[in-house]
Amino acid sequence: MDHSKQTQYSQNEKKDAGASSSVLNGHFDGMAKRPAGGTGRAATAAAAQPPGAESSSHRPAASVMESWREERTRSVEDNEMSLPSLAAAYTTILRGLGEDPQRQGLLKTPWRAATAMQFFTKGYQEKIIDVLNDAIFDEDHDEMVIVKDIDMFSMCEHHLVPIFGRNYHRSYLFWCLETACFMFVRLSTVQERLTKQIAVAITEALQPTGVGVVIEATHMCMVMRGVQKMNSKTVTSTMLGVFREDPKTRDEFLTLIRS
Amino acid sequence: LYQRARMEYHHVSAKNGVADENQNAEKLSHIEKAYTTILSELGEDVKREGLLRTPLRAAKAMQFLTKGYKETIQDILNDAIFDENHEEMVIVKDIDLFSLCEHHLVPFFGKAHIAYLPNKKVVGLSKLARIVEIYSRRLQVQERLTKQIASAIAEALEPAGVAVVIEAVHMCMVMRGVQKMNASTVTSVMLGSFNDNAETRKEFLALTMQK
Repeated sequence: MDHSKQTQYSQNEKKDAGASSSVLNGHFDGMAKRPAGGTGRAATAAAAQPPGAESSSHRPAASVMESWREERTRSVEDNEMSLPSLAAAYTTILRGLGEDPQRQGLLKTPWRAATAMQFFTKGYQEKIIDVLNDAIFDEDHDEMVIVKDIDMFSMCEHHLVPIFGRNYHRSYLFWCLETACFMFVRLSTVQERLTKQIAVAITEALQPTGVGVVIEATHMCMVMRGVQKMNSKTVTSTMLGVFREDPKTRDEFLTLIRS
Repeated sequence: LYQRARMEYHHVSAKNGVADENQNAEKLSHIEKAYTTILSELGEDVKREGLLRTPLRAAKAMQFLTKGYKETIQDILNDAIFDENHEEMVIVKDIDLFSLCEHHLVPFFGKAHIAYLPNKKVVGLSKLARIVEIYSRRLQVQERLTKQIASAIAEALEPAGVAVVIEAVHMCMVMRGVQKMNASTVTSVMLGSFNDNAETRKEFLALTMQK
């Protein structure tokens, strides 16, 4: 196993918080604590290097990526407090569309819609570290692990209309219950970024030899409006580590998920 | 015969088709502001690049998804009713349908199957699909949607019978709440001969529900 490769993409690419806090994908760049323990490998020590250090070329601009150590931007109490203004906003929308918010079917709709929206974006309340923390185990296993056909639902950040589809991913070396994807999919997002976020989160959490994530989704904003193409699907993928470098490994992964 | 098919189901009665331009723009900006509030209350940063124009896009999308309010049957059907000496069943099936659940403002979508027994008057086939569009592009409840489509056809054509079946998947059940991925909802309305005559109904169901 090539430690140098692991070092490359397990580094945190966050900018130094410095004086001002930057807002990345709606998440404030807080310096949350790093998790103790983990694997105790050399990679972890390398990851403690200053964030400004060079990282591999397959990372996009820092302003778009998030670390799994991000602070939450929202808490359960926040949810309760924002409910009235969310409901008021929905009432305005109903009126603006020409509907009568007082009729029986619509009376409680603003509240229901607000709660539904908060549920659809509840990823903002969660952190990877909470979701994964206890479920990482040391196993002497170095074959491919694939979890596929994970149903996912997200919201398109351009039209606030649902996206849903399937998500296939895998990781090497460690077996751990992957609920990471369930957290990320609850954010308003763009599919490319979502794929990358999932891959990066797994990478940082497990430091595997490689991670591949494929998402195949239907965008309601394309199906219900705009071009109105019923059967079109968008497929995005992210390959990190061994999956990127070794075509045979990538082939094996892609064949297994297609079957 | 059509006691059940009444105008009352067209509860948002034909709005003026040509809305005032200024009024429209004003409403759009109200909705846009509302979406900005929603985004910030959800914990997002409305100034980041990906979200800058989202309130406007979301408002326009919402207007598109509810454009059925501004359309009436008269507009689309007027010229396409023909006198034909045809009294056998006419079915248009697998009409893709997209609507918004009025309880959660979340989409539901699926297929509609429509059949009617003409009484010397037939309608252009695509008009049936347009009728589905008018009523589905609104805040709807699946039961009411089915009824509205059936009653619209009944009133426009005065056929011997009308049948409408809609099967749809409700995102409000799939993405939240009970979160059942594979459940679908089927509603149907049978008017006239479809209601009275079991054989007719059976024939319709056999022809449409076969996969």
